[in-house]
Amino acid sequence: MLKIIFMTYLFLVSHVFANEQPIGHVKSVSGEATITSGANKIKAEIGSPIYQGSVLQTGKKSGMGVTFKDETVMSFGADTVFSVDEYLYSPIQGNLKFSSKLAKGSLNYVSGVIEKLKPDAVTVRTPSGIIGVRGTQFLLKVEE
Amino acid sequence: MNDQAQPAPRRCSVLRTFCTFMLLSVLLGGCATKSYVVLIPSPDGSVGEVVVKGEKGEQKLTKAGQAGSLDGRALQVEDKQVKEDFGEVMAALPKIPVRYLLYFSAGTTLTNESESLIPKIIAEAKTRAAVDISIIGHTDTVFTDPYNNQLALKRAAKVSDRLVEKGLKANSLIIESHGKKNLLIQTPDNTWEPRNRRVEVSVR
Repeated sequence: MLKIIFMTYLFLVSHVFANEQPIGHVKSVSGEATITSGANKIKAEIGSPIYQGSVLQTGKKSGMGVTFKDETVMSFGADTVFSVDEYLYSPIQGNLKFSSKLAKGSLNYVSGVIEKLKPDAVTVRTPSGIIGVRGTQFLLKVEE
Repeated sequence: MNDQAQPAPRRCSVLRTFCTFMLLSVLLGGCATKSYVVLIPSPDGSVGEVVVKGEKGEQKLTKAGQAGSLDGRALQVEDKQVKEDFGEVMAALPKIPVRYLLYFSAGTTLTNESESLIPKIIAEAKTRAAVDISIIGHTDTVFTDPYNNQLALKRAAKVSDRLVEKGLKANSLIIESHGKKNLLIQTPDNTWEPRNRRVEVSVR
């Protein structure tokens, strides 16, 4: 019974992601990089989609570059774990939010449109604090 | 005996001072380079703001090169260190998106000037790996939300048709309407403003 529930859950999760619109795409990869969306883990390649909830990971001596729908641009260095917790970009409904987490590794962040339309809508969490972003570029390193 | 013994403690205290100094600089150096955030200018040259909040406090970074620890303390980080820590990450940054603004002479008819941007957009798209395109329609604030949402969508669809006709190929192409919710020129409601009647093409 539990197995059936679990399988149904897996099906639903992958189904939800399949129907959802991507929020960004991979633009550059070097070495080993993966994207985990729900139960679905793929090797990152140029053009791979990223969804709300996706977890981006890079291995040793690896890196990855990503561009989001609202023109936020990011790149990640080696040994990085980054997750998109919430990404809302629909100005008509007034839904604007981008919250993410850098659990470890390094990040180069360039601001997009979301925070131009709604200051305080963009945050990046780290294991020891929270970063609020307003229209800029910054570099962030989290070492365990 | 005293004469012989004295130099020894002195040498020892010098050594101790030296050791303490080394230990401190290693510790401080270690702190500075472990986890931090540093503000740098945007690709357009402007510098925004980053606020770091943690259990040690809150730091607002407003100047290029200003750094903070992730628990909210101020921090001094050498340029050389930043380059060492982020050189590879910065080199992996994708090309910065480009945004084109197209205007309408009436309804969904593009101005001649905007029509001439169509081939330029296609040429820019060709320079990018797995290019993503968003075509976003906007209106001014005259009339209601539903009316403007529809009109903005029609404008975006028109631009999309022109781009595809002229041979645009993209990894993903999205057509959207922001209605009167994303003004280029801030105006009160019910204000006639040609600069707000536009379609933005984001090439990423």
